[in-house]
Amino acid sequence: MDLKTEVLIIGGGATGAGIARDLSLRGIPCLLVEKGDFTSGASGRNQGLLHSGARYAVHDPEAARECITENRILRRIAPHCIEPSGGLFVSLPEDGPEYRSTFIRACEAAGIETVPLSPREALSLEPRLNPSLIGAVQVPDGAIDPFMLVVENARDAESRGARFLLHTEVVSLIRSGRKIAGVRVRDRITGDEYAVSAPWVINATGAWANRILELAGLKIGIALSKGSMLITNTRLSERVINRCRPPSNGDIIVPNDTVSILGTTSLRSEDLEHYEVTPEEVSFLVEELSRMIPEVKEERFTRAYAGVRPLVQSAEACDDRAISRGFTLLDHGSCDGLEGLLTITGGKLVTYRLMAERTANLLCEKMGIEVPCLTHLQRLPGAGMGKALGDRLLRLRRQTPAARGEILCDCELVPREAVDAILREGKVRELQDILHRTRLAKGTCQGGFCVYRLLGVLNELHKGGEDGGSNRTLKDFLEERWKGIRPVLWGTSLKEEELIESIYKGLFNLASDDSGASCGGAK
Amino acid sequence: MKRWDLIVIGMGLAGLTAARTAMEMGAKVLVVGRGIGSLSLFGNTIDVLGELNPETKMESGIRGWIAAHPDHPYARTGAEGIVEALDSFRTLFPSPYAFAAIDGRNSLVPTGAGTLRPTYLLPVTMAAGAAMRREETLIVGLRGFKDFQGDTVSLHLRCRGVTVSLPRYGLEGATALALARLMDEAPFREGLGEMIRQQMAGEKFIGIPAVLGLKDPAGVLKTLEAITGARVFEIPMLPPSIPGTRIFHRFREALIAGGAAFHMGHPATGAAVENGRCTEIYAENPPLTSTYRADRFILANGRFLGGGLWAEMNRIREPLFNLPVSQPGSRGEWFREKFFQPESHPIHRSGILTDADLRPVDEEGRVILRNVWAAGSILAHHQAIEEHSREGIDIATGFLAARRALSA
Repeated sequence: MDLKTEVLIIGGGATGAGIARDLSLRGIPCLLVEKGDFTSGASGRNQGLLHSGARYAVHDPEAARECITENRILRRIAPHCIEPSGGLFVSLPEDGPEYRSTFIRACEAAGIETVPLSPREALSLEPRLNPSLIGAVQVPDGAIDPFMLVVENARDAESRGARFLLHTEVVSLIRSGRKIAGVRVRDRITGDEYAVSAPWVINATGAWANRILELAGLKIGIALSKGSMLITNTRLSERVINRCRPPSNGDIIVPNDTVSILGTTSLRSEDLEHYEVTPEEVSFLVEELSRMIPEVKEERFTRAYAGVRPLVQSAEACDDRAISRGFTLLDHGSCDGLEGLLTITGGKLVTYRLMAERTANLLCEKMGIEVPCLTHLQRLPGAGMGKALGDRLLRLRRQTPAARGEILCDCELVPREAVDAILREGKVRELQDILHRTRLAKGTCQGGFCVYRLLGVLNELHKGGEDGGSNRTLKDFLEERWKGIRPVLWGTSLKEEELIESIYKGLFNLASDDSGASCGGAK
Repeated sequence: MKRWDLIVIGMGLAGLTAARTAMEMGAKVLVVGRGIGSLSLFGNTIDVLGELNPETKMESGIRGWIAAHPDHPYARTGAEGIVEALDSFRTLFPSPYAFAAIDGRNSLVPTGAGTLRPTYLLPVTMAAGAAMRREETLIVGLRGFKDFQGDTVSLHLRCRGVTVSLPRYGLEGATALALARLMDEAPFREGLGEMIRQQMAGEKFIGIPAVLGLKDPAGVLKTLEAITGARVFEIPMLPPSIPGTRIFHRFREALIAGGAAFHMGHPATGAAVENGRCTEIYAENPPLTSTYRADRFILANGRFLGGGLWAEMNRIREPLFNLPVSQPGSRGEWFREKFFQPESHPIHRSGILTDADLRPVDEEGRVILRNVWAAGSILAHHQAIEEHSREGIDIATGFLAARRALSA
């Protein structure tokens, strides 16, 4: 089943989905392939921070200006993906007042509005802050839901004719002389391979950019930087809390719905697929962030995770359209003599739309057409919808208990109906796809109870897959869950772990595949 | 102030066994604890050493196993100690709701994940599960009861499964406890039995979630078997555990009838020590702090989940007496890279070291408190989860600790 399109986009992160939306709003047909689910890369593994740009104001004013411009656009077009919490930059005694003054001046120069606060004012807004703070500055930071943002971009693009193939991996590039002619892809679930022909291919794979480029014998200078984050069990602050000092590790706490996300670290990484959060990173984050909010030391953590940032080392100055320091856009036609292939990488979640706009602009120019970008003017399809916890609870309250049905997840109040609705759409292909689209397994027990129930629902609908007798899906889930919780197991979260191990390894006798213990199957 | 012969700290199976053993030896016993404890979570059957090959008789097999595991709590009790303690446990459950081992060996019983689990003593309500033949078995799920997924069980066990509606409306989202209480009512269980009967296609065995009543499970079983004409068995499932709750209730009933005192809901949070002996403990009973005095104390409050151990970010503590805890060197060594491993995670082998009499000792083997004994999962050097030995360790060490405490 070979396919054909005008523009083929590789990568289902914010950039790829943003490009698909941008092109479809301009009326250009496109098809996006992604080897996992949406946001499987850096878009799904960041701190969920809607930057105001203040973080960059002192050392990179250009990036700061980009951020604040995009921040304002996103509040307009994607209000349902954003919590406009505001943010504080907190100065502690060891940070001194000088940086604070420099910071305020730099924000003003970049057009970022600031409100200086006295220690007392700051503490009245955020009572859990370290009471020894010497001052704070309020900025328009916020929290953003990357998965929702990407899905909304994709939904809008799809309604305008764009196509999306998830769990589909590029295995080779098809060339016709010095021009690209398409790609060969493999369906990672069925194993089917087929061709997608396209005169234009956009490599929007972020940190994975070289994985695609090496298929054409090309390479760009990308360094990988691992950033680790911790998720708390409760929300520590109303606003984003930043440390008012030159950007460094362990200086931001971002609220996220009912929890907070602590971050980050930056460690050079060589491996794109295997990176774990080390005990040292966890200890560092807890120690460092407890300087801003002392209760961090007593807090229960539900999970740790890490993402890799692609840092483009050389500006690849062969193309003067490599405009911003924040991201890199390459035309491999002019750089490497391979026409039809563009690479976009680097950047930040908050500038995804700008990256998509610049990419589409370059593409239109090369196609010789002139259509303006509309993504900053048109709101995303769900823009009127409430997303906050309050809205969720209100929706639940309006239903009678019978209509609510079974609550599969007691931590996050996910009803069975939410899963049934996703299954009805017919696009879900594996367990993790459902977990991405609901709050199942996001709460305190991290799926210890609800995934058993979810698999029961799938088995009832005969969608549990072909693992009869092996419990493979459940075991794979528990192994995946382990990556996130292992780094934060002490205190209360260790109690939960003892419970979960006692259930699955003890009561249910699920065992390691090579232990030889009797498990599964029947006589 | 009243002075007890023995205070048992913890209400899991280890603490209850210790309390009952001491009571039957004539001691005045107080049991203090935060709550029902692990029985309400995982108590179903009595595991003794599930990893022992089902071909081997438990009594002879465990002797050889102990020789190969000299640090294990079972090495303190010995095989004879285990057998004696299990016999004592069984006397608390006379027929019809009796516990028995099938042929003196481990048996495999179905679980809520559709796996088979090796275990030793089975309550009468689970015995048929060990004998079931899959082509003659019907697995029954209850509509709206999410903690037992009948389709998962029947898929993995490869037998037929059905989901039946409950014989009363408005029970969607009912908990295991609510269902168990309903089962105690004759019209409800008769109605359910009838609904199951209508779904049968000649099956000889019926597996049903472990909610067959709290008061008279053997009676519920009898009713269902009479209506369906098949052998019925309960299948253990996600917590809370109804069979474990039955065990707890039976112990409490016996203890109170025998004159022991029960203070539930108030965990012990502090202890006074003089001249190497514990003199009193304190229990939070907000806004009051209660003081309890005794000649002897048994520490049986479990591991992390029970509160017997507490993990700070870099060190594991025993919070009540600040006893030394045998543990891995640093947090990085607590857990292995993979969740599923042939061996347990090193942290699960941590715990309290004791002498041959189960008195806590330091690294040099010196007794720390002369009138304190430790029992149950708080002890070091077992892997109760992987070995499938949780209840056996609780019963055998609880029994031994009480014996030793009262003869000291």
